Amino acid sequence: MSTIDLTPDQAGVRTPARHRGTGLEKKRSLTGWIFLLPAALLICWMNFYPMIQAFLLSLQSGKGAKLTWAHPAWYNYARLFKDPQFLQTLKTTFIYLVIQVPIMLILALILATLLNSKTLRFKGLFRTAIFLPCAVSLVSYSFVFRTLFSTDGPVNDALMGLHLISSPVNWLANAGTARFVIILGLLWRWTGYNMVFYLAGLQNIDYSTFEAARIDGAGPVKTFIYVTIPQLKPMILLTAIMSTNGTLQLFDESWNLTQGGPANMSMSMSHYLYQLSFQNNPNIGYGSAVSYAILIMVAILALIQMRVGDRRD
Amino acid sequence: MKKSTTALAVLAAASLSLGLAACGSNNDTGTSTTGAATTGAPSGDITGKTLTVWTWDPTFNIYAMQEAEKVYQKTHPDFKLTIVETPWDDLQTKLTTLAQSNTTDQLPDIFLVQNNAYQKNVINYPELFADYGNAGIDFSQFPQSVVDYSVIDGKNYGLPFDNGAVIAGYRTDVLQQAGYKLDDFTDLTWSDWLTKAKDVLAKTGKPLLSGQANSSDTIMMMLQSAGASLFDADGKPTIVDNAALEKAIATYQELVKAGVFTEVNSWDEYVQTFVNGNVAGTINGCWILGSIQSATAQSGKWDITDMPKLEGVDGATNYSANGGSSWAISANANYALAADFLKSTFAGSTEFYDTILPSSGALANWAPAAKSAVYAQPQAFFSNDAIYTKIVSYAGKVPSNNTGAYYYEARDAVSTAITKIMGGTDMATALKEAQDTVEFAMQ
Repeated sequence: MSTIDLTPDQAGVRTPARHRGTGLEKKRSLTGWIFLLPAALLICWMNFYPMIQAFLLSLQSGKGAKLTWAHPAWYNYARLFKDPQFLQTLKTTFIYLVIQVPIMLILALILATLLNSKTLRFKGLFRTAIFLPCAVSLVSYSFVFRTLFSTDGPVNDALMGLHLISSPVNWLANAGTARFVIILGLLWRWTGYNMVFYLAGLQNIDYSTFEAARIDGAGPVKTFIYVTIPQLKPMILLTAIMSTNGTLQLFDESWNLTQGGPANMSMSMSHYLYQLSFQNNPNIGYGSAVSYAILIMVAILALIQMRVGDRRD
Repeated sequence: MKKSTTALAVLAAASLSLGLAACGSNNDTGTSTTGAATTGAPSGDITGKTLTVWTWDPTFNIYAMQEAEKVYQKTHPDFKLTIVETPWDDLQTKLTTLAQSNTTDQLPDIFLVQNNAYQKNVINYPELFADYGNAGIDFSQFPQSVVDYSVIDGKNYGLPFDNGAVIAGYRTDVLQQAGYKLDDFTDLTWSDWLTKAKDVLAKTGKPLLSGQANSSDTIMMMLQSAGASLFDADGKPTIVDNAALEKAIATYQELVKAGVFTEVNSWDEYVQTFVNGNVAGTINGCWILGSIQSATAQSGKWDITDMPKLEGVDGATNYSANGGSSWAISANANYALAADFLKSTFAGSTEFYDTILPSSGALANWAPAAKSAVYAQPQAFFSNDAIYTKIVSYAGKVPSNNTGAYYYEARDAVSTAITKIMGGTDMATALKEAQDTVEFAMQ
């Protein structure tokens, strides 16, 4: 009972039925495959085929529709390392990732634990309130944040009213504060979303383990660190991978909240990719290379997280 | 048509999230499309009676199209337009996606293109456009500087629609308070302007200008007022050692430093500055008049004149342009009908322009329309001045400049440079960086 696995290992169930060739077994697996087939075909057609095509595109160069195979084949990928603007967006995106994801996940974990308490009243209300930002469209919340943090916006008014600042802060005109506003927006928008995953995970934890910890004399903090977190590990891993993936593909906030400014200092990689492909002279080949660079980074980070986080041997 | 374009938009959005996927551009054989050749039938044997149009603003260019439809229906009762509202950003994305995936049969007959984006689109995707060679339209009736945006290799690809001539709008009551008249701000240089604007600021506490900190609009207007641009005739970027650009940036710096130009972060904030009366004027393309007039309480207190000119720069004038758009006929169009429709309305009907001017403020680029009495009517909001006649006369004096295919890259790079310069970076360093950025993009 020490670790609860959300995706029960199927291997144990299947081993006894290893005498292949029985008609029934064959028929069963065939039925399974038939059920899988439509979804599998759709995924291949809608996901994998475009991905392969995008990869082929990333090996081509040229402006507009006049694309030719690049010489050398990795030309667009080599270009990434020489492109100061790409490197700038890479740095910015990683700043978002390194600061925002840990804060968000820890906050979500704490909130989930608090809202899982048996003694708390109005739990449903709190849960809904914290989850609700996720129902807001990315574009509209970005615009609301932009208005909140404008020079004559409510945030400055409030801070001035509290005498915390003497003159309005021009939040979106400085690289540091503009990035801060984006991170704040991301925290507001996504913390509740991750909290719901943790809440779901917590429902699967046997309450007797908490009771046992209490009987053993562990306080709430110790229970949280030594009982809750280890049992939530698979969920934490899942949310970490999803958030990393989401942050690396960040687009809406960069596009709507700051327009990448000031001086491209808050621009995300995906925003740059859009600019390359649709706003500037369409450099679709290079744009595809940027998208593949993002894919590779997501894959590597997910792999590291799985290696570090998923030690169940 | 509509259904398929919606599906396409969804696909385009989906493919972006999948990593800018794969519009099968490998088969670049260009089977059915024959480039931008003037393949249209000579106007005369017009067949068909419906046209599809992509354009974006219900109160402005969509409205104009609807009125044009009515005008054309008088002589062609069966004629019908299908107008699909498509914001410019979406329209550009659609054009790119259609061209990359070689599905030009999805194009409408007519679509509207931002003047600044013309060179980029025609040079990269000539297969999307049909030129006006066989349309029988007299382009000499439009201001040269506006027509030039959409001329590529000597061929016309756009019929100018809205006028982007720059106006300087001021609150005459505020000027008066400081002891000035509109004439004091007419036909002057930036340094004279600055002296007077400082005086106005000191006496009334109101700056005369505002703008977005992240944008280079003001600089670009100053540049074009001297016929200068960010590219030379061969299309090479000329951001470094560009006397007009350096003078424009230095002027802009002075304006901001003196406090007569308020920098804000977004478009809405910019409009708010003069709508709520904190700023007593603005310099922008004449389409800004719509935003100015949204402050109904200020009716009668505004008036317009020309913009200040750069000092010590060859070819400097008091006239410039910002924005504006032109109609393109697509390579997939019913060319004869589309050309005849545009020729009889946007390039041939004073009645049409007389209808759209009062209700939408859509100013004609077409010279004969400006002679109409409607243009000479005094406008109550603008101190009973005949502002439309004024604007049309400014439009005729705007120097042409070379936008180039890499206009957006250069403009963004200069915006970035200006942000850095205002933050304390040395001008030469910042401009060199901008030049490098554009050259890198052109590789």
